[in-house]
Amino acid sequence: MSASIVVQDVVRHYRRPRASLLRPSPPVEAVKGVSFEVARGERFGLVGESGSGKSTLLRLIGALDRPTSGQIFVEGMDITGRRERDLGFVRSQLQVVFQDPMGSLDPRMRVRDIIAEPLVAQAGEGSTRDAREARVLELLEAVGLPREAADRFPHQFSGGQRQRISIARALAPRPTILLADEPVSALDVSVRAQVLNLITEFVEELGLTLLFVSHDLSVVRHTCDRVAVMRAGEVVELGPTAQVYDDPQHPYTQQLLRAAPSMRRALRGGGTAELVGGGS
Amino acid sequence: MTTAAAVAPSPVLEVRGLSVSIGRHDLLHDLTFTVGRGERVGLIGESGSGKSLTSLAVLGLLPEGARATGSVRLAGVTHDVVGASERAMASVRGNDVSMVFQEPMTALNPTMRVGAQVAETILVHAGRGKRPGADRAAVRQRVVALLDQVGLPAPAELARAYPHQLSGGQRQRVVVAIALANDPELLVCDEPTTALDVTVQAKVLDLIVRGVEARRSAMLFITHDLPVVATVCERVLVMYGGRIVEAGPVAEVFTRPRHRYTEGLLGASDLEGARPGKPLTTIPGTVPPAGAFPEGCVFRTRCRHATAECAAPPPWSSADPGHGHACVHPAGGER
Repeated sequence: MSASIVVQDVVRHYRRPRASLLRPSPPVEAVKGVSFEVARGERFGLVGESGSGKSTLLRLIGALDRPTSGQIFVEGMDITGRRERDLGFVRSQLQVVFQDPMGSLDPRMRVRDIIAEPLVAQAGEGSTRDAREARVLELLEAVGLPREAADRFPHQFSGGQRQRISIARALAPRPTILLADEPVSALDVSVRAQVLNLITEFVEELGLTLLFVSHDLSVVRHTCDRVAVMRAGEVVELGPTAQVYDDPQHPYTQQLLRAAPSMRRALRGGGTAELVGGGS
Repeated sequence: MTTAAAVAPSPVLEVRGLSVSIGRHDLLHDLTFTVGRGERVGLIGESGSGKSLTSLAVLGLLPEGARATGSVRLAGVTHDVVGASERAMASVRGNDVSMVFQEPMTALNPTMRVGAQVAETILVHAGRGKRPGADRAAVRQRVVALLDQVGLPAPAELARAYPHQLSGGQRQRVVVAIALANDPELLVCDEPTTALDVTVQAKVLDLIVRGVEARRSAMLFITHDLPVVATVCERVLVMYGGRIVEAGPVAEVFTRPRHRYTEGLLGASDLEGARPGKPLTTIPGTVPPAGAFPEGCVFRTRCRHATAECAAPPPWSSADPGHGHACVHPAGGER
């Protein structure tokens, strides 16, 4: 049985604009030779701070960007080096939920058209207007929004509701893989729990493979089976979530876990000195 | 509600019956709280709860068109902040009370060297009250010392840098240096580390706490992040719908919450205690927009325990505004 996502020695360099007339700028090495596999139905977390390359990696896996070198397989198919028009199978198998729902939902489209758009683009199940309408209503109900929501525009919803719309759109073409890029970072605490529950529920019910990118260690711990810790374009530690969190091996993982404020440690009397590793 | 027997020595900040409205919307409703000398108090709530507006009211920075009633008194300031003139407040801000905002890039002037911005704060208040007069060389020395205290490398050279040349964490350190430059009695922090990475956040939080401890300054710390408040503060005020719904020591409020909103907030944010992969407890619905909060208990439209009684404003549970809750059906049973 093949893995859902295979990442092999993936490298992504970006060119910066020239700063000098005499020599080219040095490239930014966003991802420097990363390899891992995500099994079918697995919930895989990528954690790291800003600039660690976690979002770049997610974009590469989603075929939204091309690696400088290395290969990526999605459901057994190589997605590197293909033309955009040959990437249709990725678009139907794999869907993305982004951090900022306002930025990822077209403000001039009604929610009905936003959710139906992947169906229109793929001309499969949603080839007739009636079939699409039925699917949109089914999805709205699944993500906990009223039917009337279909006629409204994104700005008429709160942040949490917009993220529900993004999730409905992602699920529309019945993908097997869901990529989530900081899906709850912009949400309030009480809404964050609702959206996290929704994502875990769908992943479980539909047997999806989840790739979850976040800077928030506690969210990844709650959501994922396995986790890769990234820093400066490299994976520094990878393993089952419980193992990585309870017994981190790499000094950076240890530092990251120590630095995250924890209610438990704080109530035991741990102050800010403990976060920076100054002892208790 | 009285403030009798609250904090024995006179508090650094005393807010009494503060209400703020803009247009037809009542945004803050009858807030009463104090911050004692050297005390670190957290103000928590979700977006739209009025916590940032409260911090602006404390500094007299309310937007145009906002009407404030009640009183805000600061130690060492003879006038009330509510209704004070801009001229009067200008000598208070950055001196008796100062603020660290969320976004260091907007708090700093992009066209001025960071050292000059720290110096400006010192010079503006020099010669006033307890401050010595300005001596350029001494000020320059003090600026470098301050930048060094906030853990910036090579402070003498860094003082000549512009904000865009620094990283987000370094910028926030500069903002903290400016805020602490005149040893304020009260430091107000509004989500100071929300925009920062977790390892940088740890360092900046530690620096802020060490900074206020060294000066015996008090701190009002505003955030939506409960673990951060638990780590930084001693006492906490929980806001929802422009009201303080619960107040008390951190250890008590976070382990035995009384108000149903506090209880829900703790449940929803408790990712450490939840079984991995299992559903988290949630608060139904979302925070209503300003002006759409219900009459009576502001939380009753989202509360699983609400009854007809909750249509009337719930009374505060004790005589001490710094310790109690406003809930008719508190968690953990009637007292």
